[in-house]
Amino acid sequence: MLLDAFHALLDVWVLIAALCGVAIGIVIGAIPGLGPTLAIALLIPVTFTLSPIPAIILLLGVYQGAIFGGSISAILLNVPGTPSSAATALDGHPMARQGRAGEALRIALYASVFGNVFSCLVLILLAQPLASLALDFGPAQMTALMTFALAIIVLFGGGSILDAALMTLVGVAAGIVGLDPIEGLPRFTFGSFAAEDGLALIPVLIGLFAMSEVLLQAFAGRQQGPAERGIDAVSSQTSSPRAVGWLSLWKMRVTLLISSAIGTFVGILPGIGSTVPAFVSYGFARSRSRHGARFGHGEPEGVAAPEAANNAVTGGALVPMLALGIPGDAVTAVILGAFMLQGLTPGPFLFQQHGVEVYAIFEALILLSIPCILLGLAMFRGAVHVIRIQPRHLFPIIAMLAIFGAFSVNNSLFDVAVMLGAGVVGFVLRRAGFPLPPLLIGLILGPPLEQSLRQALLTSSGSATIFVHSPIVMGLVVVTLLCVLGAAYQRYRAARRERAA
Amino acid sequence: MSSLRHHLLWILVALLLAVSTSAWSADYPARPITLVVPYGAGGTTDISARQLAKLAEPLLGQPVVVENRPGGGGVNAMRAVSRADADGYTLIATTSSPTFVTPALRRVGYDPLQDFLPLLNYSGPYHGVLVSADSPYHSLDALLAATQDSKRLSYATAGALSGARLAFTQLARETGAQLQHVPFNGASGATAALLGQHVDIALVPAYRDLVKDGRLRLLAVLDDQPDPDFPEVPTLEQAGYDIQFPSIVALMLPRGVAEERVETLRRAFTEAAASPAFAKVMKKLNQPVRVLPGPALAAVIEKNLHAYQQLAEALKR
Repeated sequence: MLLDAFHALLDVWVLIAALCGVAIGIVIGAIPGLGPTLAIALLIPVTFTLSPIPAIILLLGVYQGAIFGGSISAILLNVPGTPSSAATALDGHPMARQGRAGEALRIALYASVFGNVFSCLVLILLAQPLASLALDFGPAQMTALMTFALAIIVLFGGGSILDAALMTLVGVAAGIVGLDPIEGLPRFTFGSFAAEDGLALIPVLIGLFAMSEVLLQAFAGRQQGPAERGIDAVSSQTSSPRAVGWLSLWKMRVTLLISSAIGTFVGILPGIGSTVPAFVSYGFARSRSRHGARFGHGEPEGVAAPEAANNAVTGGALVPMLALGIPGDAVTAVILGAFMLQGLTPGPFLFQQHGVEVYAIFEALILLSIPCILLGLAMFRGAVHVIRIQPRHLFPIIAMLAIFGAFSVNNSLFDVAVMLGAGVVGFVLRRAGFPLPPLLIGLILGPPLEQSLRQALLTSSGSATIFVHSPIVMGLVVVTLLCVLGAAYQRYRAARRERAA
Repeated sequence: MSSLRHHLLWILVALLLAVSTSAWSADYPARPITLVVPYGAGGTTDISARQLAKLAEPLLGQPVVVENRPGGGGVNAMRAVSRADADGYTLIATTSSPTFVTPALRRVGYDPLQDFLPLLNYSGPYHGVLVSADSPYHSLDALLAATQDSKRLSYATAGALSGARLAFTQLARETGAQLQHVPFNGASGATAALLGQHVDIALVPAYRDLVKDGRLRLLAVLDDQPDPDFPEVPTLEQAGYDIQFPSIVALMLPRGVAEERVETLRRAFTEAAASPAFAKVMKKLNQPVRVLPGPALAAVIEKNLHAYQQLAEALKR
């Protein structure tokens, strides 16, 4: 079967589809506001004319490329191209400021590829059993898992725990705006129809990270040239290919494995997406590292962890989509449509009826790493020069892209207003020294957390025993408590060492 | 140089005249038609509408441009189209929820009966009453009977304002069954919750393969007709309950379009919807082709809008 599938890949259209898909994906991902969902939806009509395997490879190439592409703008400009690359900016951009942009990009690329290959192998070996594991996560289990994720972000995100907790609450509160998920009643919409959809993630992300960066630059006083900003993108040291050797990747092997596993696992579960696992893996890598203090100031492991995680989500998200026909998010829902149009109806019969095509697609997913690396490295050569563009030329372009990106999500001016508002809020908070990632995570997890909690209580007729009776929930609660204790112990030890010194 | 500029100017004037005369003349359509899809690109509603548009283009002699306006569960696009010029150049490919479910429950900013002219229904996925394959209930009656003695059963739907929820709320009121609604984000979440046995019942479409694979059991369909894939499974009405949730996917126009333009559109889109090419794509998408002319569609919308409005009133009391 695997060999038959490989033969099916020996086709020039497969190669063309893979190259085009990855290239389009990287570029789309790098532009703030344009994400894989839009690109894939627009490419579906193109795939009508292709045979099934190249058609699906084109779309999955875009998906993989876009998640990696977001890290390019995150590292070089501190403006994440996709929500999932917001975590990459935490250490990626400081590295770029230290003249290590090339190194950061390469680490991001290799970690992305590692995450991809890991999750694809999991997909090939364990799609069916993992799909049933995903089904074990009902409302009660999702509630516990999301609480755990919030705890990790607050405890191990770096910086003050109180600040992070405050920002998380602000994010959760912002998520209340819109229609109530259970009764469908409007909350804090002030009679506006547009506000009923709530504050959409992409406009808020662009505002918080891209627009606030523009505002920070605008209010930074005298214009600084790139050299004065301390950025030397193409110094001889960074452009040498040895800068990221196998050795440094080998040193990160545990982080890469853990992050990829987190990404794959969260990808399998519906509705969480790739942003949360990226930040959770970052928190884990930081808490595990002996150089935890260096995180946030240009630590390569802080780039590798989120990139491995957010790319591993792609393979994980395909598990329930292919095995059960149940898509977990907007991107996989669009890919599901593409599979159906090609006559490959996802669901219980897919593997029996179209085994060769499915395994060919899986193998292609792994082989897509090759164009990903080649195109990635080629694009870096050009991309690092972006940093040399004068801020007075660069930031107006970013501002325009931000407005365009916010509008393109729903073709709605309300989203543009949300983006601008989030930009001002982000600017003020950054000036005041608050961390923005917990706010983003609070906004992403708040609404599904509320919905899961209320669903769980609806199914149990209001009784909290539904949480006690589930081993998964109890396990997650124990792990969450251990993390709280671990963080408390770390703080205590650090405080004692300080006193002793 | 100046003569070149002169020539260009004349060409421009000629072009402008050509454009304006065609706009004034009676032959419709003279420019591209916009088909609004109230959901995001790439979903089944979007893909089927795009296919229908492509097939209608040669019949109309003009491009049909699909425009996605997602948000508000389809309500935002409906409101925009209700206010669009009634010149026959704007249509919407809409579904049950923004047509007769949401408007019955809350303020939406348009009147589905007064503001729209139903042109044609072309699809509508069957919604089923599903239980897990190892559930003890083999019929809807057995299921409802089980809830009489202090036992509550939970049912998952695609969202807080779904029509399936209203149909089941009414069923619970008529039979006294203890049914607890649990809304999910979309039908896929509700299906997953049933597969994982976190709820007892799910009211969802796209169940065919999961039922044939023996994971789920179909007890009834909420539509007014049985699902051709499962002709032996009764509708709620055949099972003896006077309740339905008919699923529509329909083309609608803003009210006030001239009758001959409506006729042109009706002929072109009806032919496209009945074509074998459209049937082929819909089969791949696992969606039925259900062609229903405008007046019959209008009756379905009106009947259910009123039924749901009455139900919403009763729920408030």
